[in-house]
Amino acid sequence: MNPKRLLAITRAGIMESLQFRLGIFVTLFANLIYLVLVYYLWKAIYDSSGTDVVNGMTFTDTMIYLILATALFNFLEMFVVWDMSRKIQSGALVLDLLKPMRFRKYTFWSYTGNHVVQFVLTFIPTFIVVMIVTGGAIPLGLNIVWFIIATVFALIINYNIEMLVAPICLFTESTWGINIVKETIVLLLSGATIPLAFFPEKARMVVQYLPFRAVYDIPLSILLGKSGSDTWQGLLQLFALQIVWMVVLTLAGNLFWNCAVRKVTVNGG
Amino acid sequence: MSNEAVVMKNVCKDFKVLNRHEGLKGSIQDLFSRDYKTVSAVKDVTLTVNRGEIIGYLGPNGAGKSTTIKMMTGVLEPTSGELLVNGKVPYKNRTENCENIGVVFGQRSQLWWSLPLIESFKLLRDLYMVPEKDYEEMIELYRSLVDIEPILHKPVRQMSLGQRTLSDILAAFLHNPAIVFLDEPTIGLDVSMKAKIRELILGLNKEKNTTVILTTHDMGDVDALCRRIIIIDEGTKIYDNDIEHLKNYFGSYRTLKIRRTDDTWEEYLIDEKTTDVMDVIMEKQKEKKIKDVKILEISTEEVIKKIYEGGAR
Repeated sequence: MNPKRLLAITRAGIMESLQFRLGIFVTLFANLIYLVLVYYLWKAIYDSSGTDVVNGMTFTDTMIYLILATALFNFLEMFVVWDMSRKIQSGALVLDLLKPMRFRKYTFWSYTGNHVVQFVLTFIPTFIVVMIVTGGAIPLGLNIVWFIIATVFALIINYNIEMLVAPICLFTESTWGINIVKETIVLLLSGATIPLAFFPEKARMVVQYLPFRAVYDIPLSILLGKSGSDTWQGLLQLFALQIVWMVVLTLAGNLFWNCAVRKVTVNGG
Repeated sequence: MSNEAVVMKNVCKDFKVLNRHEGLKGSIQDLFSRDYKTVSAVKDVTLTVNRGEIIGYLGPNGAGKSTTIKMMTGVLEPTSGELLVNGKVPYKNRTENCENIGVVFGQRSQLWWSLPLIESFKLLRDLYMVPEKDYEEMIELYRSLVDIEPILHKPVRQMSLGQRTLSDILAAFLHNPAIVFLDEPTIGLDVSMKAKIRELILGLNKEKNTTVILTTHDMGDVDALCRRIIIIDEGTKIYDNDIEHLKNYFGSYRTLKIRRTDDTWEEYLIDEKTTDVMDVIMEKQKEKKIKDVKILEISTEEVIKKIYEGGAR
């Protein structure tokens, strides 16, 4: 694969995202409101529990986790399902199929630019603010490197989850409901809204092996040194889980897409 | 490379369509219905397009033009028959095929909406892996054919429809493809823009020997660009020859224009094989006084209109 091609698409994506600078500020503002809400909600939960540590997490731990999860969510968020349903309805999908690149690859790289912009403009500032406010509660070291690797894996897993849902529009011709269901499932089961530590024991046993966790919970755990990621063995386990899901979902996504694209080529979409 | 850009042999394309029922009850029935009917969009079409040709691919709305184009680009798979584009089966090698074709849909833009045109060009250059030298040459050629300076640094979303279509056509030719498909490129454009776009297409075809397959409803496009036209109706090819032949394809028609004394013009389409023009003039003279008479060659537009209306079959 020619890296120049991929860089060119990423570059265009960055430039396109930067056109919507107002949107970035709105996102930051919306996050602020959301985080105020989260702050008071969890404060009430901790106050009523009567102890400082709930499920092994202090109030500060929980807040750091949720703030970073929100920032990570903004950065990882993709609109593949939404974009594809719009393209199918307007017939513009044909234009993407006419690019001299495999569709899945082209689509993935066309989002990369946006990820880069969001990472720099929302995740890094949030991270720095958290560091300043908590007085350096997040350890800085090799975990940053592992975190970045885990985030790249998370990106690929998230994309594949999206690509498993998006082609459904080709069959249903409507996606709004499906997209909402997908988003809710991902946000809940990935630990982006409630830390996985707060899940009931039995539910957690199941959830911790599902791919959703690999999107938000694993990168965050690695960054914060939780879930045993402070030991080599624990770290490898987390990475192994990500890699397994990455491979499985990529294969499944490929298969499903090929199936869906056949529907387009046979019946005109 | 062989001399044929596109070869189609007995190509058919069927679509399976759900039989929809009327009313609320019908809509609920449709949820569980397995009642499909087959619609043939393209029936047994055989044609060859040679390199360097500009082909007008015509037909009334819903005749199967877009379906054929989509098959040639590899987006649709033919139900049966043989289809080769640049010597390859397009739907089996879609990605590869796309490197060698350019496509413009008059109603959609493939450019990056919020970026200046030059950025779209650079992106396409990298996407199609065009060597820097060829790219520079192409831009130079564009400069010589149209005035691109005013639009080069303008974001696509701020362009007028004409500028956008122009840009889209330039973008489709940028990687110097063997074939360019233009699907109604002049739709919605003003007269001078249409002329500009026709000139551009002609210039690019001449310079690069690019095969152009053009669908349009504007006979001005056909007259200005195409030597050969193919007409398809209800999925079947009904005409495939020069424009000159078309005019006496189903009789030697002429348009008779009569000016009355009150300066109103009347128009009659006359088939010289069955009716004598003089007879008509005589007859009209009996009705009312005639001030002036003109006998004209039938225009392409009128021939096409007659064909679409079923006069040819």
